[in-house]
Amino acid sequence: MSEQDLLFETADRLFGDVATFDEVQAAQQRGWSEATWSAADELGLTRIGVSEAAGGMGGSIADVVALLMAAGYHAAPIPLAESTLLAGWLAQAPGIVLPEGPLSVIPNKANDTLRLENGTLHGSAHRVPWGRNVSLILGLVDGHIVGVNPHDARITEDVNVAGEPRDDLDFEGATPVFCVAATPAQTLERFALMGALSRSALMAGALLRVVDATAQYTQERKQFGKPVGSFQAVQIHLVRCAEQAALVDLAVQVAAREADRGPASFEIAAVKTLANDAARTASRAAHQAHGAMGMTQEYVLHQYSRRLWAWRGEYGDASWRSQLGRGVATLGPDHHFHVIADGSASGIAL
Amino acid sequence: MAIRLTPTELTDQERALQAEVRAFCDEFLPRGSFEPGLGMSSGPSKELSRELGKRGWLGMALPTRYGGSDRSTVDRLVVVEELLRRGAPLEQHWTADRQSGIVINRFGTEEQKQRFLPDIAAGELCFCIGMSEPDSGSDLASVKTRATPTDGGWLLNGTKIWTSNAHFADWMICLCRTADADTPHQGLSQLLVDMHADGISINPIPLLDGTADFSEVVFNDVFVADDLLLGEPGNGWQQVTSELSFERAGPERWITPIIIVENFLREYADHLSEAALDFLGHTIARWWGLRQISLAAARMIDEGKAPALQAAMGKDMGTEFEQEVIAELQQLVDIEPSLTSDSQFSRLLARAVLVAPSWAIRGGTNEILKGIIAKGLR
Ligand SMILES: Cc1cc2nc3c(=O)[nH]c(=O)nc-3n(C[C@H](O)[C@H](O)[C@H](O)COP(=O)(O)OP(=O)(O)OC[C@H]3O[C@@H](n4cnc5c(N)ncnc54)[C@H](O)[C@@H]3O)c2cc1C
Repeated sequence: MSEQDLLFETADRLFGDVATFDEVQAAQQRGWSEATWSAADELGLTRIGVSEAAGGMGGSIADVVALLMAAGYHAAPIPLAESTLLAGWLAQAPGIVLPEGPLSVIPNKANDTLRLENGTLHGSAHRVPWGRNVSLILGLVDGHIVGVNPHDARITEDVNVAGEPRDDLDFEGATPVFCVAATPAQTLERFALMGALSRSALMAGALLRVVDATAQYTQERKQFGKPVGSFQAVQIHLVRCAEQAALVDLAVQVAAREADRGPASFEIAAVKTLANDAARTASRAAHQAHGAMGMTQEYVLHQYSRRLWAWRGEYGDASWRSQLGRGVATLGPDHHFHVIADGSASGIAL
Repeated sequence: MAIRLTPTELTDQERALQAEVRAFCDEFLPRGSFEPGLGMSSGPSKELSRELGKRGWLGMALPTRYGGSDRSTVDRLVVVEELLRRGAPLEQHWTADRQSGIVINRFGTEEQKQRFLPDIAAGELCFCIGMSEPDSGSDLASVKTRATPTDGGWLLNGTKIWTSNAHFADWMICLCRTADADTPHQGLSQLLVDMHADGISINPIPLLDGTADFSEVVFNDVFVADDLLLGEPGNGWQQVTSELSFERAGPERWITPIIIVENFLREYADHLSEAALDFLGHTIARWWGLRQISLAAARMIDEGKAPALQAAMGKDMGTEFEQEVIAELQQLVDIEPSLTSDSQFSRLLARAVLVAPSWAIRGGTNEILKGIIAKGLR
């Protein structure tokens, strides 16, 4: 069993205990689940992928991806991707030590106007995950890694289609807690890749859950005197979910492995593309197999299908496809297959 | 429970093999020196098959004492994907290399192994698959072709249909009834049938693109000697299902349109629309993902596991994807593809339009595959 399998199992057990159906439901009202956060924090899971120098537990990208897959499998309603993979990536700039507690990051939406003026923050950052709940928000602004206290912003609360907090923050001269020059590797493009990898990992977990929920429901639900899962038309929906889940599950683990070795821009763009496809086809098939039961918040499916729809739109939807396409076209026909077989090592540039 | 795969990647040795195969293909099959085919239906070339045999790239998983090279499923994947993506004419050895040799090695007698395997590994023998019959397609266990005992062997009577490369094959592995039984899955056996034996007639069937890649094969009191029974009499169903699961894991289930997309890139490079870039990007992501599945399933086989469900998923997704690629490409270019066009892209696209439906049918239809996967999800 690999280290990642062990980590996945540990996190799976933990989230299975605390992030129950009712707890995830309640988090939709409260914004997040403090119980889930505390349980994960106690085991040190909330700082995996953050270097020890920055106050974290260390660990590879593959480790964090395994953790996020488990979080996705249980719809863990906490800013885990932000506190681990994304804050960890931003905190690579020298001299940063992260405080305790949940963290968030600025996702860099196209309409953001954030800028640094004489060391203070001005402008707005949109759709910051759990902006209202966290102790510190990190971002890459004007070539600097900044950490800022959300209390120093005007917060307009909003949620994504899954009901997870996505808040707009307006700054008028806030003084960052820290502000250090980014390393040359810390570009907005690379950050977007990390964001896409984090969402792909969560989506892979949610997809696996959609398969399990659909398999279980179609065996339990009876019509015409037998389980609906015995109808071939329904089996086709179930299989479609399983195929999409298997594809994204495998692809995200490959992408994580490559991301520990280099930028892995091809693999990450590809896996987010596959996850976005799966969000559409697997959710549709799962809902069809569930009938009306899937359409109520009183049953579990929506906790996953809505997250898949939400995460599809976060950190790049169809834009990855055109970027990949441009890379393929630039590389040319003689190297087309090498991209498929060798990924980033083919030299494809995004 | 969801079905999962473990990520894997090529080892340094496998990469070295890949480099060797690429160099060989560049030299032996340079672009423009032959008309590329589509996947498994690319026509035969004894010359190519012999060259591959010489290099140890056929029957790779067979033991060295039978002319094989004791190599792995992943090694074979590395070799065949390089050939398939160039549209190389590999039909001479394809079936023998992919499944017949493996089945003979697994179930055959010592004498059968010595008789067939070295020639398979040398690219000298072409095999065909005698499973389907006019009244037995998906319900394969209902085959009616029958072998009745006779002095020193069997007399074979019946009709096989859709038999790929029957008209140039040397041997067929034929699934037939050798005994009456309570259930259709019992009483079946596999026979090695010499395609040049007396009493066999081979009637080519025109495929939609006008080629005759498959045939009807009629057996009329064909004598098959006792020593050509493969495996245990009555064990035919177990043997044939294990054979089908080897057949499903390979790259031929997702790779076919690559040569068309590469020709598209070649001919349309100067005016790629936004829609074209979106298509290219979406397609490369799906290809990369599907190849990861093929590779992971091959590695499972090498680790002694039986990835029957994973392979079925790979084939179902892969062949569905192949058809989507053709449909999306057609929409994109907005031309009338033609088999006689000056443009290789147009010729290949026309052929693909005509044969693409078969990709999701041969080797077990996608409906049958989904049934197998659904059972595995219970
Ligand atoms: C190009 C090509 C090459 C081939 N080469 C060979 C070869 O070399 N040797 C060989 O033996 N065969 C070969 N075949 C035959 C192939 O294996 C069969 O076509 C296949 O097994 C399906 O059988 P069928 O065509 O009789 O379809 P049928 O079984 O008649 O099916 C018709 C439709 O009904 C569906 N269906 C049938 N049963 C079920 C079920 N239980 N549940 C749900 N849906 C069902 C099928 O999915 C399909 O959509 C080839 C076929 C093609 C197209």
